[in-house]
Amino acid sequence: MATDFEFRKQVLDMHMSGVIKYCYQCNRCTDNCPVAEVTDNAYNPRQNILNALLGFKDAIFSAEKIAIWGCTVCDTCDEVCPQSIELTEIFKLLKNHSVANGDAPDFYYLQAKTIFENAKAVPSQPAIERRREQLGLPTVAAPDINELTTLLKNMGIDKKLKGE
Amino acid sequence: MAEFKMFEGCMIGNRIPFIEASCRKVFDKLGIATSQAPFSCCPDPTGFANFDNDGWLAIGARNLALAESEGKDIISLCNGCSNTLKLVNHTLKHDNLKKDKINKELSKIGKEYKGTIDVKHFVSVLKDELEKIKSYTVKPLSGLKVACHPGCHYMRPSEVMETDDPMHPIDLKEIVAACGATVVDYGEETLCCGSSVSNAYEDHGMAILKKKMDAMKKAGADCLVVNCPACFQQFDGKQRDLSKKFEEEFKIPILYISELIALGMGIPADELGTKFHRTRVSDILEKIG
Ligand code: SF4
Ligand code: SF4
Ligand code: SF4
Ligand code: SF4
Repeated sequence: MATDFEFRKQVLDMHMSGVIKYCYQCNRCTDNCPVAEVTDNAYNPRQNILNALLGFKDAIFSAEKIAIWGCTVCDTCDEVCPQSIELTEIFKLLKNHSVANGDAPDFYYLQAKTIFENAKAVPSQPAIERRREQLGLPTVAAPDINELTTLLKNMGIDKKLKGE
Repeated sequence: MAEFKMFEGCMIGNRIPFIEASCRKVFDKLGIATSQAPFSCCPDPTGFANFDNDGWLAIGARNLALAESEGKDIISLCNGCSNTLKLVNHTLKHDNLKKDKINKELSKIGKEYKGTIDVKHFVSVLKDELEKIKSYTVKPLSGLKVACHPGCHYMRPSEVMETDDPMHPIDLKEIVAACGATVVDYGEETLCCGSSVSNAYEDHGMAILKKKMDAMKKAGADCLVVNCPACFQQFDGKQRDLSKKFEEEFKIPILYISELIALGMGIPADELGTKFHRTRVSDILEKIG
């Protein structure tokens, strides 16, 4: 397995304190992970931390999608890790890479596109607006879609979207 | 109490607005004043943050800047929104390089993030009003056995959320008890509902949901109380599918904590829109009379 040093540096930079180095593979994260439990460790946070720390980029990104996208982001691993490693921060970096490679599950591209076009992950709909009125609720204050789209475009994030 | 900017979130605002109705009614009773702002999506800490971290920080910072411009704290009705807004606030307050980078982008759209306001989940605000809640409870909910699901992002990551104990949360239980109902422990209070993994792997989300529902059923809960719309959708919307999938009946009504409080305050169920729930709330309404 080859170490990708540039990738390894990015992983280490995620934590300014570099605490990920102190992972001693105790497995407490995986033992407490709800997805590891229901998948017989097909999703395995400890393994992800090890691969990330060693810079095994290929092992991470050529594996089945579930290897990184199985996480339900419950932040339990962050709490139980004896070394105070913020695992989900590292996993976020891995997922951002996967998105940029075009390899993430469809949901993530769809949600991003919805936010890009509507400034909301759940856009407003006439039927719900009527229901709000029936319930005596004020109209939702409309977000400035143009401003948000400009912000994301300036940052080049529109380029990561799919299905244009 | 100073006025808050209301961050109802896109799921409550644009999909299940009856939750906002009960929250607003309870806030009115307790004297919690709010006003609106043209917030965008927070955006989703389990979705968009994993899509692009810097984009997530920038959108979150822009929302914070909107509230900052009025000098008001944000009150959130959703775990996801309060998680994002608190994480973004925390990150930018502690990382000057990131802050400069994000502010450079915001300046191009005429905004600036300063880091001058706080974000509160409404449950954290309510748990400081227990005496008031007690005094406004006119309809005793005694005998109602309530299971609690505060949801991961109400208290985790604890270093940033600074609300409740991350693995032994009590805030929600205290509010339920203040309404006169009985809290039932089921041993899986801190387990996730499985919502987020369901976005890509529905089966795994269902397996986690089953584990939760089994535990509540065994503990004899009359209903489950939640404080996050994503959790609500998972428990309320998916129970029927769960029953089908596992050929076992699950029919535990789901209430938002604001709905439980409102019912205790004697606010009629019609006004709360409980008929829009997928699970049968009528069983609960009969029970409390
Ligand atoms: S719990 Fe922490 S130290 Fe233990 S294996 Fe997981 S990341 Fe490493
Ligand atoms: S955050 Fe992800 S990896 Fe960590 S325990 Fe939860 S599901 Fe597992
Ligand atoms: S957390 Fe979810 S509901 Fe709240 S604003 Fe973000 S995407 Fe919408
Ligand atoms: S329980 Fe599920 S939906 Fe609720 S806060 Fe946790 S991850 Fe989000």
